[in-house]
Amino acid sequence: MKLLEYEGKKILQTSNIAVPKSFVAGESADFLPAVLKSQVPVGGRGKAGGVVIVKDDAEYTAEREKISHLEIKGYTPKTILAEQPLDIDRELYLSLVIDKATASTELMAHKRGGVEVEDNAAEDFLKLTLETGSADAAGQQLADYYDLPDKTFALQDLVEKLYVLFNQQDMTLLEINPLVLTKTGELVAADAKITLDDAAQFRHPDWSFELDPVETNFVTLDETGNVATIANGAGLAMATVDAVADNGMKPANFLDIGGGANEASVLAAFKRITEYSHVKVIIINIFAGITRCDEVARAIIAARAQLDDLPPLAIRLAGTNYEQAAKLLQQQNIPIHANLDQALAAAKELT
Amino acid sequence: MNAQLLTGKNVIVQGITGSHGSFHTRAMIAAGTNIVAGTTPGKAGQNVDGIPVYNSIVDVQNDMSVDTSVIFVPAAFAKSAILEAIDAKVPLIVCITEGIPIHDMLQIRQHLEKSSSQLIGPNCPGILMPGIIKLGIIPAAMGLAGTVGIVSRSGTLTYEAMAGLTEYGVGQKYVIGIGGDPINGTGFTDCLELFQNDPDVDRIVLIGEIGGTTEYQAADYIAEHVSKPVYAYVTGHHAPEGVQLGHAGAILGSQQESAKAKTDYLRRNGARTSTSITSLLTAVTSDKK
Repeated sequence: MKLLEYEGKKILQTSNIAVPKSFVAGESADFLPAVLKSQVPVGGRGKAGGVVIVKDDAEYTAEREKISHLEIKGYTPKTILAEQPLDIDRELYLSLVIDKATASTELMAHKRGGVEVEDNAAEDFLKLTLETGSADAAGQQLADYYDLPDKTFALQDLVEKLYVLFNQQDMTLLEINPLVLTKTGELVAADAKITLDDAAQFRHPDWSFELDPVETNFVTLDETGNVATIANGAGLAMATVDAVADNGMKPANFLDIGGGANEASVLAAFKRITEYSHVKVIIINIFAGITRCDEVARAIIAARAQLDDLPPLAIRLAGTNYEQAAKLLQQQNIPIHANLDQALAAAKELT
Repeated sequence: MNAQLLTGKNVIVQGITGSHGSFHTRAMIAAGTNIVAGTTPGKAGQNVDGIPVYNSIVDVQNDMSVDTSVIFVPAAFAKSAILEAIDAKVPLIVCITEGIPIHDMLQIRQHLEKSSSQLIGPNCPGILMPGIIKLGIIPAAMGLAGTVGIVSRSGTLTYEAMAGLTEYGVGQKYVIGIGGDPINGTGFTDCLELFQNDPDVDRIVLIGEIGGTTEYQAADYIAEHVSKPVYAYVTGHHAPEGVQLGHAGAILGSQQESAKAKTDYLRRNGARTSTSITSLLTAVTSDKK
C-alpha cells in the first residue's frame, strides 16, 4: 500500500531522520511562511499547482482553500501538509527498493534530484546492494558519489537508519526525492514516497493509513465490454480474459474470486458486473484445487436467485467435487460446460 | 534439478494438523505419495490418519530420514517453517502457503543460496507426476501419465493445461507449478533443465505471466540448451499497465514485462507460442506423436 508524504515522513521521524518542521494545515497556520503541499499519491503535484508558498494569513487561507479542491490526476487531497521552507543548496536523489530479479535490497542515488530526476540517464545512477553491516561502506560510497566528503558520517548514519526502517516496516519502496542539502549543511528529507508490503499487515497492527490498499482482485478493463469474467486464481482469470479477447469478444473485467468462492463473494461479483450495461454474458471459469466445485455451484445458484437482471451465465467448472456441482446446476436447469472452449462457444452465441 | 530429487522416498508435511494440511495429506497419500510424518509445534504424539505428528523436523530425523517436506503452515509462520527445513538440510522443500511477505522471502533466498536445498514455491500448487507422486495440491484425478513436462507460474493455469492435455489423451510426466510470487525458489530454467535431461519427456509446456523477467531467462535457456519442442503461453495480454491483477507478481511494470514482449522474445528463441490457453492446448495436442 502507498503512503502519503506526511505519513511517510512520520515514519522517518521515528528514526530521527531530519524532515522539515511541519503541521497539518487546519483553520490557522502554526507558523508562516510555509509551503502548502497537497497530499495526493501521484507525481507532478508542483506542476499541477498542488505545492504553493504562502507568506501571510490571508494567502494561507486562500491557497489552502484552493488546494483542498484542486484535483490532481484523479485525486483531491483529504490532508494538506504545511512545511517550513528550506534554504536549499543542493537537491539529491536517494531511494531503497527491492530488486526482484536478484532478490536483494538496492540503494539508488543521483546527484541531481528533484522533479526532473526521471530525465537523468539510467546509467548515471549510483546503485549499491545493501545488506546487514554494509551501511557504512555504502554511506562512504554515497559521500564520494555526491561529492560531499564532509557528510560521510551523516550519510552513513542516514543509510543505516533507512535500511533498518526499510526492513522493520516491510517497505518495498522508500524514495527521498529530493534529499536536500541546506545552506547550513544539513541533510533533510524534503519529500518521502513509501510503499508497504500488504502481505505483512499481520505483523503491523499499528498500520493505519489514509489510502485504502488498492484492490487487486477485481479490475475493470473496458466498461463497454460485452463479456464479464469470473475465475479463480490470477493466472486463470487473466487467461480467461485472453481467451475471451482471442475469440473476438470484448472482456469487461478481470476477477480473481480466489479460493473461497461463497454465496456472498459470488453475489458481490454479480452485483458489480450488472453495473456494466453492455455485458451480454458472464463467463464463470473455475478450476477447483483447494476450492470445491459443489460449494461454487451452491453459491452461484443462491446468488443468481437474488438478482433479476443478471445476464446469462456460461459456466465451466472442473476439479474437486465436479460431479456434485454438475448435478446441482442441472437441477436448476443451468447449463454447465466441460471445458473453456465450450463455455466460450456458448458465450459467443449470446454476444 | 534432477528427477531423483522429486521422487525422494520419505515425505513429511509441515503444518499437517491444519485444515489444509490434513485434507491434502490424505489426497497426496491417495495419489501415491509416501508420507511418513508431519510436524506441528506443540502437537507431538498426535496423529493424522495414522501419520505420526512431531514437534519439529529434527525430531522426525531422530527416527527416520526426510527427503522432502511439503509446507502448509499459515503465512505468518511460513518463514520459520521454510528456514527450519533448510537448516535440517531437507533436499526438496515445497511451500504451498500464499501471502508470505517479500522481506521474508529475501531472507529465505539468502539462506537458500548457502544451502543445498531446493525450494519450490511459495504460493504454488507444487508438483504432480501422474501415477507416481504428488507433492502439493494439484488435483491428481485430472492428470494422466505420459511424456509432457509442464511448468507454470500460475496455479490454476497449471491445472487447466494439465486437464486440457488429459482430455485430449496427452499424458504428462511432470506437472510443476513454481508459484507467482515476485521472489521465489525454483524458476523456469531449473524445470527446463529437468525436462530436457529426462529421456521420457518429449514435449514441454511453459506458462508465464505478466510481471517480472524470468520468462527472458527461460527463453535464453531454451535457445542455448533445449532441443525438445517448447510450447509457451504468457498470460495477461489484456492487462493494463501499473495495475496489479491478483497476486503480487502479476503486475505489468514496464513494456518489457508485458505478455506481448515476453511472447515475442520466447518465439524468437525457438518456443512455439500461443496467445490463449485454448490455442496452446490445440498446438500441443495437434503435434501428437
